[in-house]
Amino acid sequence: MPRSSLRARLVGLLADWSLALPLIAVAGVMLVTPMLAMIVASVTTDDGTFTLDNWTKTYRALSAQRAVLNTLGLAATVATIALVVGAPLSWVVSRLTRLNRAMHIGILNVATNFSGIGLGFAYVATLGAFGMVTLLMRRVGLEASPPPQASFWGLVMAYEYSNVPLFVLLSLPAMSLLRDEWWEAAQTAAATRLQFWRHIGWPILRPFLLADWLLIFTWSAGMYGVPVALEGDRPAAFRLVTVEMYRSLFGSLFGERRMPVFAVSLMALAILSLLAYRGITRSGNRWLT
Amino acid sequence: MADLTSQAFAAVEAPLAPSRRLGRWRAAMPRGGLFAALLLAAAVLYILVPMLAVLLYSVATRWTANILPDGYTLAHWADGFADARFRTVLGRSLGLAVATAVLDILLVAPACYWQRVRNPRIRPILELLAAIPFAVPIAVIAFGLLQVSGQIVPALQGTPWLLLPAHMAVAFSFVYWSIDASMAAAGVVGLTEAARTCGAGLGATIFRVIVPNVGPGLASGAILAFGVSFNEIALVQILAGDRFETVPLYTLNLLKSTDADFNVLAVMTAVSFAITLLLSAGVVFLNRSVVDKRRAKA
Repeated sequence: MPRSSLRARLVGLLADWSLALPLIAVAGVMLVTPMLAMIVASVTTDDGTFTLDNWTKTYRALSAQRAVLNTLGLAATVATIALVVGAPLSWVVSRLTRLNRAMHIGILNVATNFSGIGLGFAYVATLGAFGMVTLLMRRVGLEASPPPQASFWGLVMAYEYSNVPLFVLLSLPAMSLLRDEWWEAAQTAAATRLQFWRHIGWPILRPFLLADWLLIFTWSAGMYGVPVALEGDRPAAFRLVTVEMYRSLFGSLFGERRMPVFAVSLMALAILSLLAYRGITRSGNRWLT
Repeated sequence: MADLTSQAFAAVEAPLAPSRRLGRWRAAMPRGGLFAALLLAAAVLYILVPMLAVLLYSVATRWTANILPDGYTLAHWADGFADARFRTVLGRSLGLAVATAVLDILLVAPACYWQRVRNPRIRPILELLAAIPFAVPIAVIAFGLLQVSGQIVPALQGTPWLLLPAHMAVAFSFVYWSIDASMAAAGVVGLTEAARTCGAGLGATIFRVIVPNVGPGLASGAILAFGVSFNEIALVQILAGDRFETVPLYTLNLLKSTDADFNVLAVMTAVSFAITLLLSAGVVFLNRSVVDKRRAKA
């Protein structure tokens, strides 16, 4: 009797989970095991004993410090420009008429999704040596030439292509929180536009905009396709963590276990910013009720 | 991650003021007009000029000195589609993306359904798993999978059989959010109870009641998964490499080579632009119909 009830409980438990098991298995194996493998690889030697040498050796190297600083600097710059340009743009788009807004959102959506290798070629076709804009600048007699594709500002320009539209799409829902009546009320109280934004608009939008900044920052730090496409195998290119990981595949650095250390560093950044993101949006959500 | 935009889109569509009120708002802020128009125009230019440049490159005869090409031809398009490598790459990418989308729907839809009608304890696990590809860079997952598969199943490296489940795993978050939202909107718990009360079995309930009601969610989830797989480069490059060249990898290889035909590269980029455009239009269209339906109900 107890055995059959145990079996019934097992069958019931299996049935409770049955339809979700294939998904949990695939996602678990393909997402969790690689992360665990990177963590283990970053703190063991080749024969499997525990060590922290990989971390100290990696981060004592100037090139690795450079790569991390460059990555964080690039991500912060990209996210800040996305905020400064994207927030007003988002405000403007949120106040368009319905049809107009649908069209602009459509354009932004395409730009957001066009963020991979194709963007690398589009950069060359636009700002390369024979790019459309380069030719235009030369034609009108401008001496200045666009930043080289593997430089800091070249990368920033390419990253913004997808990240400014992404910032707009992320922050659009928050823009509808600012009620038209508040501006009218502020006007009735003789407030200027600047005062309205400083004392009403910015405090309400701040948590949402900062959360979106954080997302863009995190995603920019982990970008792979665009920098690999723009930098390729150029030896003197701007060092980035993801590009260093790519190079460790082919170079002699593989034995040093630098790649797992970089991978775990990026994971840590992702987890930290996800937690921070939750905290920030929670503080903003009280305006939603 | 970029495909999160469809969620943003669905969210923003709902709380809109009627345009009559917007007109009044505009009248109240006259100085916003010029600045707003300039900002919008600049953003649209920034987005459209590179697309235009790619398109012109794909039909240009020679283009080295003037703002526009010296002449136009369709020869590059003909060359591209006559090239066996070009066709193989395009077909392979389309096949991989379709397989990812179909299998992801088959995996995710039952799990979403089960967590709503049978076992809510499934939800926290799926939400945690879905947050991984959203936050952790795909390159990190790719390098991790390279290491794991190298120890356990090295024979799978360079084949699509490792790449396909990897693409399914990194694309599943978007499918999950899309299907879960549409199941919430359709009220699958109530539908299931009604169907069971009428004597329908599990199979009949799922295929004759649930699936027709969450159609747009399934479709937009499939489109998002297709887009992730079609544009993905890190997993393709690291796990499969040149033995399984897809559209992004082909583009990257041509970009790096010194004697590549940039006009054909432009054709390939234009094709993937067009596919991305169609997918985005599809997602926007599907989400709008969901929102409209919800609004009509309310």
